[in-house]
Amino acid sequence: MLAGTRRVAAPTLGFSFVLANAAPALAHGFGPTYDIPIPLWLYLYGAAAAVVLAFVPLALYSRKTPDAAYRYPRFDLFGVPLLRRLLTSRLLVGGLRVLSVVLFFVVVISGLVGLQSGFNIAPTFVWITWWVGFSFFTALVGNLWPLVNPWSVLFDWAEGLARRLGFRDKLVLGESYPGTLGIWPAVGLYLVFVWFENVFSGSYVPRNIAFFALGYSLITLYAMAFFGKEAWLRHGEAFSVLFSLLGRFAPTEVRVKNPGVCRGCDGCEHGRCVNCYECFRRADPDERELNLRPPAVGLGLPEEALPGVAAFVILVLAGVTFDGLLETPLWLEIVRLTPVTQTLGVILLPLLFFGIYLGFVELSRIFGGGGEVGFRQFAAAFAFSLVPIAIAYQMAHYYTYLLIQGQMIISMISDPLGWGWNLFGTAGFDPSYGIVGASFVWYSQVALIVVGHVIAVYLAHSISLRLVRDPGRAFRSQLPMLVLMVLYTITSLWILAQPIVK
Amino acid sequence: MRRAAIVVLVVVLVLGGLFFLLRPDTPDGGPQDRTFDVSIKDGEMSPGEISVNQDDTVTLRVSTDESTELHVHGYDVEQEVEPGTEAEIDFEADLTGRFEIEAHESENELGVLQVRPR
Repeated sequence: MLAGTRRVAAPTLGFSFVLANAAPALAHGFGPTYDIPIPLWLYLYGAAAAVVLAFVPLALYSRKTPDAAYRYPRFDLFGVPLLRRLLTSRLLVGGLRVLSVVLFFVVVISGLVGLQSGFNIAPTFVWITWWVGFSFFTALVGNLWPLVNPWSVLFDWAEGLARRLGFRDKLVLGESYPGTLGIWPAVGLYLVFVWFENVFSGSYVPRNIAFFALGYSLITLYAMAFFGKEAWLRHGEAFSVLFSLLGRFAPTEVRVKNPGVCRGCDGCEHGRCVNCYECFRRADPDERELNLRPPAVGLGLPEEALPGVAAFVILVLAGVTFDGLLETPLWLEIVRLTPVTQTLGVILLPLLFFGIYLGFVELSRIFGGGGEVGFRQFAAAFAFSLVPIAIAYQMAHYYTYLLIQGQMIISMISDPLGWGWNLFGTAGFDPSYGIVGASFVWYSQVALIVVGHVIAVYLAHSISLRLVRDPGRAFRSQLPMLVLMVLYTITSLWILAQPIVK
Repeated sequence: MRRAAIVVLVVVLVLGGLFFLLRPDTPDGGPQDRTFDVSIKDGEMSPGEISVNQDDTVTLRVSTDESTELHVHGYDVEQEVEPGTEAEIDFEADLTGRFEIEAHESENELGVLQVRPR
């Protein structure tokens, strides 16, 4: 339906919750896949490569010092006067924030009053451009979400307006956020999002997207007013938590030179302030750094891990896996033979993953001699090392969607509502399908997954050195993690090798 | 340094060797003419999946229980089909990948065309 040819029809109004007109092929938020399953030999090859390469970081870096996590090359972009002026210019920064809010309202309005079947910008923008495109951008370039998050921008505007009108401090109720809750609210909200994306059969219907966006806006704005904006963005706003996780993988970081700014922040390790967008925002402009750094090092940093972090990471992993699993014959059989439904699956799979993960964490602690480091700390620290595998799988699974379906946004931006407009003269744009051939897709998918796996193994290695200190025990403690990573990587490859069923 | 070089060399040799060991030969013979008898009934195509190799010339002989316009995605092949008469759709499968075959009006997916690379 996404790539369907363009038709102009009269707008339909009415506010029923639309379920029925979602075509069966669009049971989840995306259009049809253009990838064919990777052949068996390539799957076996990828699996073998995952096993062989898992030992390379061990062989190469086993004598590294435990504090190496902090010492990586950095280049401060703000140190270049021209770049500094460009990247901090009000035009760019303010422009991006305004653009983000405009796009948010375009999606909501198109969803509410635009054409419901066929040409409508809401599904393509939300599922392809934002969900796939923006998360790739965050992982590969850097995390812009704290800057452009439309709810955060709207809240800032509302606060500014209230101040101008004289309602000082009335917007924030100032309840203090219960620290023991950690990021569990974000875990819950993200689970609902994964359900909406993968299970809810109307996730593709523009009006449902608008309703979900509005509902989520209510929750977010209210919670920001209730607990304070920063507290909610850090603990409860699912996408802020997600993008900051992906941003740790990115080759850029924000850093505050004087860590005194971080005092009282529960996300920064005392004495260092990296990847913390709230502290970055509070800091004096001269204290801010925007650094280039090697990719993925942000996941190995010993920042304070809030309660629920491991669960969130595992949920992200399980979510991307579930998405692929839904299209496999195995899932069809499970649904046929057991009482497991899609909704039950979206809850059970993360629990299963979490159980397996915690089991391996315990093994890892036993292998490393247990002792001084607590189970919780182990579980939270190692969770970050799995993020590259999730990113790699997500990219392998979705990059062709972005390349092919993503082109639809060019025509849709000219006619967001499907009312036959041609605002920018691009409404007639026809996507081209032949950009990537199937064999290139196969090789790149396997390469992505194997590379993500190697990065993950390397991270697990430096994390275990940091936790266990003694190189010999660290070596033993990461063996269970290594097995877990090989298993997960082989599962990812296996899913890509499965025939696609509806 | 020496150790790193040895590790990298061994890994390259093992993975390179494995690649050539596992990689199958390309399908023999050049492009072929492939003809499929396809029937559409109750909004579903049978067979539901048509699998060909790249550059094959594909002919679909379509019979249907209701008149519709058949659309092969990506190839932008469109053909009116009517009950009672057999329609023929010809095209060369030059794009690889998985493409929906749909009924144009309802945009209902009837089946898929799978084109494997050579």
